[in-house]
Formats: sequence, C-alpha cells, structure tokens
Amino acid sequence: MFKIGFVILSIHLLIAVTGPFWAPFHYAQMGAGKPLLGMNWINFFGTDHLGRDVFSRVVHGSYMVISLSIFGTMIGLVIGSFTGLLSAYIGGWVDEFVQRFNEALISIPFLVLGLLAILVAGPKLSGEPILMALAVALVYAPRISRISRSAALDIIMSDYVIVARLRGESALSIIWREVLPNISGTMLVEFAIRAGFAPILIGSFGFLGFGIRPPFPEWGSMINDYRPFIFISPITVIGPALALSSLVVSLNLFTEGLARLLGTSRKEIK
Amino acid sequence: MIYLTLITKRIFLALLTLLIVSAILYGLLEILPGDVATRILGRDANEENLAILRERAGLNIPPVQRYFFWLFNIMRGDLGYSLISTRPLTEILAPKIFNTLILSTCAFLLYLPLTFITALVQASNKDKKIDNILSAITLIILSMPDFIIGTILLIVFVVIFPLLPAISLVNESSTLGEWIMALIMPSVTLALVMFVYGVRMLRDNLIEVLNAEYVLMAGLKGLPRYRVLIKHALPNAIVPTLNVTALNLGFLIGGVVVVEQICSFPGFGRLLIEAIKNKDLPVVEATILVAAGFYISANLIADVISILLNPKLRKT
Repeated sequence: MFKIGFVILSIHLLIAVTGPFWAPFHYAQMGAGKPLLGMNWINFFGTDHLGRDVFSRVVHGSYMVISLSIFGTMIGLVIGSFTGLLSAYIGGWVDEFVQRFNEALISIPFLVLGLLAILVAGPKLSGEPILMALAVALVYAPRISRISRSAALDIIMSDYVIVARLRGESALSIIWREVLPNISGTMLVEFAIRAGFAPILIGSFGFLGFGIRPPFPEWGSMINDYRPFIFISPITVIGPALALSSLVVSLNLFTEGLARLLGTSRKEIK
Repeated sequence: MIYLTLITKRIFLALLTLLIVSAILYGLLEILPGDVATRILGRDANEENLAILRERAGLNIPPVQRYFFWLFNIMRGDLGYSLISTRPLTEILAPKIFNTLILSTCAFLLYLPLTFITALVQASNKDKKIDNILSAITLIILSMPDFIIGTILLIVFVVIFPLLPAISLVNESSTLGEWIMALIMPSVTLALVMFVYGVRMLRDNLIEVLNAEYVLMAGLKGLPRYRVLIKHALPNAIVPTLNVTALNLGFLIGGVVVVEQICSFPGFGRLLIEAIKNKDLPVVEATILVAAGFYISANLIADVISILLNPKLRKT
C-alpha cells in the first residue's frame, strides 16, 4: 500500500525539482491562451482568468509548497524537541511552566495560531515565504514539544541515565549520547506525520488570503482565486486541488508505511 | 467525595491555561512587534492619524497596564470596542457566536452517529475487506484539506446538481427554511472533516475495547454477538469516544474558520478572518480568547466526565 504513496511522492518531488525547467509556460505569463479555456492539449489544466496556464502554475508552485512544508516542519521539530527535552531534563517548576505555556499555545486552534503569527509579523514580512515556514513551525512546535517531553521523560527515568548521572557525566553529554538517540525514532515519525499535514496548513493560509504574495502560484491561493470561476471552468480549481490532495495522500501513505516499518505505534495528530 | 479535589484542580489548571493564552495573545499582538498604530494604519500613514489612533485605542498607556485593564474589563463582561465599526464587541460577537454554535451543533449531530457507526463497523471487522476499504476512503478524505472538501462539495451540490444555494447568508430575518438550506453545506463539510479524524482514532480505541477480556468472556458465556456489543462493549466505548471528540474540537474550531469562509456563513470564523484582514486588534483578541476558552472548557468537561465515569482515573 505504501508503495503507491512512495511512487506518487517521488513523482511530486521530481516535478518540484525539475518542473520550472520544462513547464510549458512561466507562471506569470499572461497570454498562454485565451482566458478560461477548459482542458485542452496545450494547457492541461486550462487557463485562468488572466490567460495564464494553470498547469504550469501548479508545477512552478510545487517546489515552494514542498520545500516550505519540509523547512517549516523541520524548524518546528528542532524547536519543539529541544524545548521538550530540556523541559523534561531540568524538571521542577521550569517543566511546569513550559508545559502550561505549551498547553496554552495548543488551545488556540492551529489555523488561528498560524493566522496570528502572520498578523503579528507586520507588513514587511507579510507575503514572504519565510513567514509561511515560521507560521508552520509555530503551530507545530508546542505539539512536538509535548511529545518529545514525554518521550524524553521515559528515557530520563530509565536506569542507564540514572547511572550516567551518578557517574558524574555532564548534562550535555547525557542528553547528546543517551537521550537524543533514543527519542529520534519517535521524532522521525512525528516529523513525517507533521510534514504530511504541513501542505494542508500552508494551503489553508493561502486559501484564506494570507499566503505568499501574488503572483506567486501557491496552490491554496490559486484555489481561492479561481473559486469565482467554478461554474465556467472548474478545471482551474480542480487542477491545484488535485495536486495538493495527491501530495498529501502520498505523504500520508508514505509516513504510515514508514511508521509501520519502524514499528512505533501510530500516535494521532492533535 | 475524594475526587472533588481532583476536579477542582483541573478547573484551576484550565483557568490558568486560559490566562496564559490571554497573556500570549496580548503580548504577541500589542507588546512585542514595534508600533501597533503603524501596523494598523500601514507604513505610509501620516503622523496625525497615528496620534489620533493611539489616543482612541488607548495605546498611550504602558502595555502591561493596558493588559490588566483589558483583563479586568473582560471579567466585568466588557470586551472592548471594535476599531473599525466602534460598536461594543459583545454586541458584535454574540450573534456570530450564536450562528457558529448552531452550525457546530448541526455538524456535531451529523458527525457523531456517522463516526461511531463507522468505527464500530471497522472495529468489529478488523482487517477484513470492509475495514481496509473504509480506511482507504478515510485516508483519502483526510488528506484533502478542509477547503478542498468544501469546494468539491460546492461543485457537486451547486454546479452539478443545483440543489443548494452557493452562499449561506442568513440573518435574523431569514425563514427557518432558508436557515436549513444555508446550514446543510457547511455542516456536512464540517462533519466530514471531523469524521475522518475521529473515525481513525475511535477505531483504534474500539478495537481495544472489543478485545478486552470481559467481551471475550461474554461471548464465551454464549451471549449473542449484538448483546455483547450493546450491553458490555458499548458502555465502555463511551469514554474513548468522549476523548476523541474532545480532541476533535480543535479541528472543529479550525475547520469552522475555513468552512464559514467558503460558504460565506456569517459566523465566528468569518468574523475572525475579516478582523485579521482589517487588523482590527480588539476583535481578534476577543475572538481568539473566546475560541481558546471554548476549547479549554470542552476539554475540561470531557476530562471531568471521564473522571466521573472511570474510577481508575481518580488516582492521579
């Protein structure tokens, strides 16, 4: 089952990396065809209201979605796992405080949290791709922190760490040599799951109008922009929607296969 | 009762979390990034307008003081005023919250039986063909972001079979019929979104319940299968369902925002989006606070009910 996911994912990655070179048109090129043509042999997904080729736009936008998802999730993972780990190791009221903080952040629905981050960033950063990645990281960090904390707690309570502490090993070396390697399995699966969900998050931002500054062809904002033309030329909406869905489906299948391979239990996303 | 202290402790923690949320909100929005007035009016606003705004929004008071004034006002029930329309926020928020509550309830009523029955079917036929088919379908819907599901439903029900109105604008003066028509699209979308998350979690929980020893025992005793399900397994399935639902509420609130935007339903979510676009800070703060409050209280209620129902949880 997850082989299908792997295949589709590889196709996506391939398109993302090589796409801009062989896409028939540039993404801002108006006049690739008459506006709002349906599917035809030149424009696979038709043209949009400005005459741009939708297929090329999807292809061009592909690398941004994928790289932002991975980048953003990675930042969130790094911040989250380190805060969780440190919080677990130091313990005491630092731990309590960090936990309350995390819980507060998680109580804000993730979409809202991302929107908040985008709002806060101010006019200079708005519309920049880096903001998207940071928003994703902000949404994921507390949730990952929680998980890394419980995983780290398990390890810290175990005998060999207690022995290491008794031996006088410095905290840094314990964290580096005992804790980190043991939580990396769980964290890897977490990363894969979150990275699978990240394109949806980024797409949602784009859809609501808070995405990357136009005319960059981000899939979410494309779907939103072409909504008024649904009756005339539905393929403009279906095209990017299909791209986004297939990306996420393949990522999910892939991560499920990965999780099963690594043998860790599937913790569901909150 | 011994566990009363436990419940009180939970309530206290919940309130504390809410307080921290408010601090984070206020801190992010008002204190951290530079000049608030410039952010609202844009970079090219002239000095006079900036000064007027600062005066009106009370931005001249030092931030920490402002935070406490704000908190104090909230506790008295005064949520402040919208920067755009200068109407008191409670007036603006109340009808929208009401609308969204109706929407959520409809979605919830659709989602609950759907999820439960599907998860039950899946759990009872674990790893058989029906289970795998349902899992595959769920995974595919799960991978589609909520706005895509909403848009597809829009295409199907408005373009292909012109059954439902494309926009769900209702207000107090609309008839009941109009309300129902307007509610169908968003609630179905919402219910679907919650369903795909809920059914996956519930399936695993129900499998655990069904594999428990008392179920096996009941079967061995000779009870017919449905009796085992209804009298023995079902009561124990309530707690996991509750937990799953509480977790799902996060998706509900998030999903509401997107769904309301797609269908132009005049609710809470759309209010938030508009406020963010207009940089109407008081509205943003108040709405997020309310949303977080809902989520925290729902989790709290779910926790409390679980504690009451399951004696084993009372030890912690």
